[in-house]
Amino acid sequence: MVSKALVRFIIIRTIVLILTLFTAFSFTFILLRVMPVSAVENILAGLTVQGQVVDPQAIIELRKTLYEIFGLTGSPMEQYFKYLRRFLTLDFGPSIMSYPTPARVLIFSRLPWTISLLAFTTVISWVLGNVLGVFASINRKRRVSKVLVSLSLTLYPIPYYIMALVLIFLFCYIIPIFPLFGGFGEMSFTDIISFIRAWLYQSTLPALSIIMISMFGWWFLSSYTLTLNVQTEDYVYYAELRGLPQSRILKNYVFKNVLLPQVTTLGLSLGGIFGGALLTEMLFAYPGIGMLAYRAVLSGDYPTALGMLSLTIIAVATATYILDIVYPFIDPRIRHR
Amino acid sequence: MARTIISKELFKSIATPFLILVKTNRKFRIGFTIIVIVIALALISFLAPPKYIHWYSYPRNIPPSLTNIDLLLGTTANGRSVFWVFTNAIKNSLIIGIVTALIAPHIGLLIGIITGLKGGVIDRVLMFITDTIIVIPALPLYIIVLMVLKPHISAIGSPIPFMGLIFSITAWCWPARQVRAIVLSLREREFILTSTLSGNSMVRIIFREIIPHLLAWHLINLTNTVLYSIGMETGLSILGLSILDKDTLGTMIYWALYYSALFRGLWWWYITPILGIVIIFLSFFLISQGISEYINPRLRQ
Repeated sequence: MVSKALVRFIIIRTIVLILTLFTAFSFTFILLRVMPVSAVENILAGLTVQGQVVDPQAIIELRKTLYEIFGLTGSPMEQYFKYLRRFLTLDFGPSIMSYPTPARVLIFSRLPWTISLLAFTTVISWVLGNVLGVFASINRKRRVSKVLVSLSLTLYPIPYYIMALVLIFLFCYIIPIFPLFGGFGEMSFTDIISFIRAWLYQSTLPALSIIMISMFGWWFLSSYTLTLNVQTEDYVYYAELRGLPQSRILKNYVFKNVLLPQVTTLGLSLGGIFGGALLTEMLFAYPGIGMLAYRAVLSGDYPTALGMLSLTIIAVATATYILDIVYPFIDPRIRHR
Repeated sequence: MARTIISKELFKSIATPFLILVKTNRKFRIGFTIIVIVIALALISFLAPPKYIHWYSYPRNIPPSLTNIDLLLGTTANGRSVFWVFTNAIKNSLIIGIVTALIAPHIGLLIGIITGLKGGVIDRVLMFITDTIIVIPALPLYIIVLMVLKPHISAIGSPIPFMGLIFSITAWCWPARQVRAIVLSLREREFILTSTLSGNSMVRIIFREIIPHLLAWHLINLTNTVLYSIGMETGLSILGLSILDKDTLGTMIYWALYYSALFRGLWWWYITPILGIVIIFLSFFLISQGISEYINPRLRQ
């Protein structure tokens, strides 16, 4: 299984990953460098003006971090490496909103929530969307398929957070099944069952809003069109001429060729899913990274916000990397190249 | 004389496909009709009474009533007419989208043509950067950028177009990728070769042979960029990272959430901007679908 070509592929892909991270961090480096120079002092002044109780030690730490991030100390080369070190290690010093907890710790503590929500919704919507897309495309004369297609055409352009707002309107206001102000409050659970109940109560709407959009909008429509193309391919025609049963044609000839490109698309769409989920979490007061982002924005917590930026870049780049590495194991055409 | 002929030709080359699209493509027709309504709403905003901008200039928490245009969509918890705020919000959101659409897809077009035609190192480096920026989630990036810029934005003379400018930072990537793919396939076609062998210069080939083929794709990129930009502004507004003292669809949602409009039962305040966004997104999307079905008959169902 592990051939020389595969090892070469993995090595090349790893180099690409490192280069991608470099490029992404350099891009943000340049972007932050173009900002107004007085930014740092303004940020610090803003914090004290807001009348928050901020630990003086926190301000000193923040000043040091920001001076390095915005490149106000040292030579350009030195600045760049200091910046890279901070972004690669996610070390942005203590957070402002809950000093002296490091921003990194704060982010990692919320990470399981976000990852579980995203993994769950992505898998569900990918599988369901693709399967439904193939079936709708094969039975495209049926009324159900036509309804599904027009539904997905409607949902396709709509952002996740707009869907979230619509769901809040429907299920918290018109039919009040869920509370208008979501949120766990203090997490105190006596037993595992009440935890699961609370978790389901908390995650249903955010998950639903992400699944609705990414399943119907994205995966359904793309697998629908892909199937349309695959069905006109010669090999499907030939399989039909050979008199293979329809189920076998579907399984071996259509499904495989539709799902493979969809794996690649998954990699490309991860960034968008991640960004959209941030806002969805915030709107439903789901205790993940998105909620943290909102609180960071409210309290001007730059260490946490910067940490999240760097985390999302690393996470999305790594996820695409893993998908790319797994891909040859699914697609024999690449493995044998 | 020559100029009028060229402009007539240009007009014809735009008007003919447009008429065909309106006649034959249902998606385009619906999308275009909605767009016209949306633009009409945006234009109505200029008729707004000057007092609409102030708080408490209308009675508070009035439900929608058809008797008075000021109260057509009710009023907010801080005594503003939802209808006038809404029309202004549409105008401002469209401006943000259009400013980005004027900048980003054109940068994308340029980069796409250069990388597609030149190939080699330039192509690899530029495409690597483009792919990287596509992979980076744009929202956390803009969160940082706007956290830094927010105190300065209101000081700028025209903050609304400035927001559009900011979103151009990443919005050029998808167009660049797409244009490059098309240019790559065009490059191998015979008429390009014929034109090259006829001794035409590169610039001439680009303008006479390549760009006409890209126009429809470029139009799709324009509509998609408008949506990208409006969507980004809305998302950031929900976090409170937009120009909160100006009315955009995003800030409208922000204030409705801030005053917990639903909790107070002011559903008209909450649902109006959301419907506005859904309608805008739907219409632009239908238009771009219509155009892509026109240029790629394989997509027609």
